[in-house]
Amino acid sequence: MGQVFNLFISVFVNVLIWIYDVVGHNFGLAIILFTILIRIVTWPLNAQQLKGAKAMQDLQNDKDWQAIQKKYAKDREKLAQEQMRVYREKGINPFSSCLPTLIQFPIIIALYQSIIRALASTPLDLLKLSRSIFLPNVSALIPLNSKFLWMDLGRPESVAFFGLALPTLAVIVAITTYIQAKLTMPASTTPGDQSAAMSGMMSIYMPLMLGWFALTFASGLSIYFITSNVLGIVQYAMQGKANWQNLIPGFLKKKE
Amino acid sequence: MSWPGLATDGNMVYLADGPFLYAVSLADGKEVWRYPGKRDSKLIFYCTPAVTPDGLVIVGSAGTDHSLVALNPNDINPDTSAPVEKWKFTGAKDHWVAAPLIVENKLFAVNSDGNLYILDLQDGQSSKKATVVELDGRLWSQPTTDGERVYVTSLDHSVIAIDAKTYKVLWHKDLGGAVPGSAVLSKDGSLYVGSLDSQLEKFDPATGDHQSVLDAKNWVWSTPSLDDDTLYFGDVNGNLYSYNTSTGKLNWNPVKPDNSETASITASPLVLDDHILVATESGSVFALDRNGKVLWSQSVGGKIYTTPIAAGDLIIVAPLETDFYLVALNPSGQQVWTFTPGS
Repeated sequence: MGQVFNLFISVFVNVLIWIYDVVGHNFGLAIILFTILIRIVTWPLNAQQLKGAKAMQDLQNDKDWQAIQKKYAKDREKLAQEQMRVYREKGINPFSSCLPTLIQFPIIIALYQSIIRALASTPLDLLKLSRSIFLPNVSALIPLNSKFLWMDLGRPESVAFFGLALPTLAVIVAITTYIQAKLTMPASTTPGDQSAAMSGMMSIYMPLMLGWFALTFASGLSIYFITSNVLGIVQYAMQGKANWQNLIPGFLKKKE
Repeated sequence: MSWPGLATDGNMVYLADGPFLYAVSLADGKEVWRYPGKRDSKLIFYCTPAVTPDGLVIVGSAGTDHSLVALNPNDINPDTSAPVEKWKFTGAKDHWVAAPLIVENKLFAVNSDGNLYILDLQDGQSSKKATVVELDGRLWSQPTTDGERVYVTSLDHSVIAIDAKTYKVLWHKDLGGAVPGSAVLSKDGSLYVGSLDSQLEKFDPATGDHQSVLDAKNWVWSTPSLDDDTLYFGDVNGNLYSYNTSTGKLNWNPVKPDNSETASITASPLVLDDHILVATESGSVFALDRNGKVLWSQSVGGKIYTTPIAAGDLIIVAPLETDFYLVALNPSGQQVWTFTPGS
């Protein structure tokens, strides 16, 4: 398993280095282009997420479902059973909107390892890098230039402001993650709707968690998060499937 | 993390490994002290320590605290059981990896921030006012000097010569590959450098004119070791080279003492009276005669990246990823003691 994951990291490293070479030795740009590549590769998963979210939204407007909700409004257990039955009948997977997010985790871990390995800030990292490279004649590229804008991509980012170290990227990561999660969250009018509750929890925890990652780990990872989030937001917006109202605090409660 | 740094003053072995710098008695392998006395999350050590002529031990941190500290092993703080800091330099911006070079009362210390810091060894109070020579790239190897010039190698593919008195850059040459090892001066005064471009380069120290004299089979990581007019060095494929600086030819075809898959040689060969000692990543040490014939080998375990050191009759090896941090071998390769730090 470890060897498979190591191979996975090696592939990432080589793609990153290849892009780095093509774009004129800019590792920040390489991460951004690499992220676009990842989004393209994971497009079917994102499409599945959108499909799942759309199915959930449609269900909320379904008259039969509304009748069931009304009928079992005071019996949560029965309502949950009926909900699962309806999901089965309509072919809805309540977790389909969460799955692509969860799939991101191995990618995030592999990308983090790839960035650390590619930037090789210690002798041991540099030696490991030598084992990861399949590309020919890369010794001229090594070590990679880790500077991008004001950042050292191999280190956590902060901007000095009146003597304080402000983690600007971590804040941007948290905000863009929140926006993306909210935009894709289906509107729910059902009290006790488990999938809506799960989506709601995810929209809080994910920004906090990814923001913490951005605060703690190499800023190259933050570049990935932000690029991925922005691409996701643009993708949903272009497809007309973004729920902009979800960004307004209290919108759902008022609707109830 | 990275591999440990190792040095000796003849009585003690100094091991920079993770959160501590350990002083270990050569006589029995017991810990004498550690610095800092208590773990400090900002300090990480894998920089090779340096010992000054008057016994100070100098080591830099690769943690978030980028200080370079001079410790006095003869002055132990009774509260911490750690040696007293004679001075501390906090002006660097990045990791310390290389041992500083000590020349008379000056310290030439290179940092991963790309700067060469020249400090006064005696005057700790003014060490913040170091002379800073701004170079490029990460500097991971100890500078070399012939007294007239100081030579610095850089991961940005450069070899740089600096005037030892005025600290002005005299020449700056690009090799086409990173240089993680130090430069070596041969008997005739030529400068030799191995690179990740898999080349051994020969320099004219006065002008910086250089040419490749050997095409290795893979990255040359280790600093070549000089033995009379022969340079011994390894590559990351595990090949050992013996290059004659007088004839400009290999003494014998490269040999690969370790046939395992992890046979990389990142440690410099250790030149001893009756053999050459080579440590490989697989955790083995090999004693070879000067014709490249293996005399004996010893598997000590873990992985070896750090250059072993000789101290008296002992060979000290610092493997990584094993139960013990140090092992002392006798000249026949038999284990004398191991060191494992207590909690």
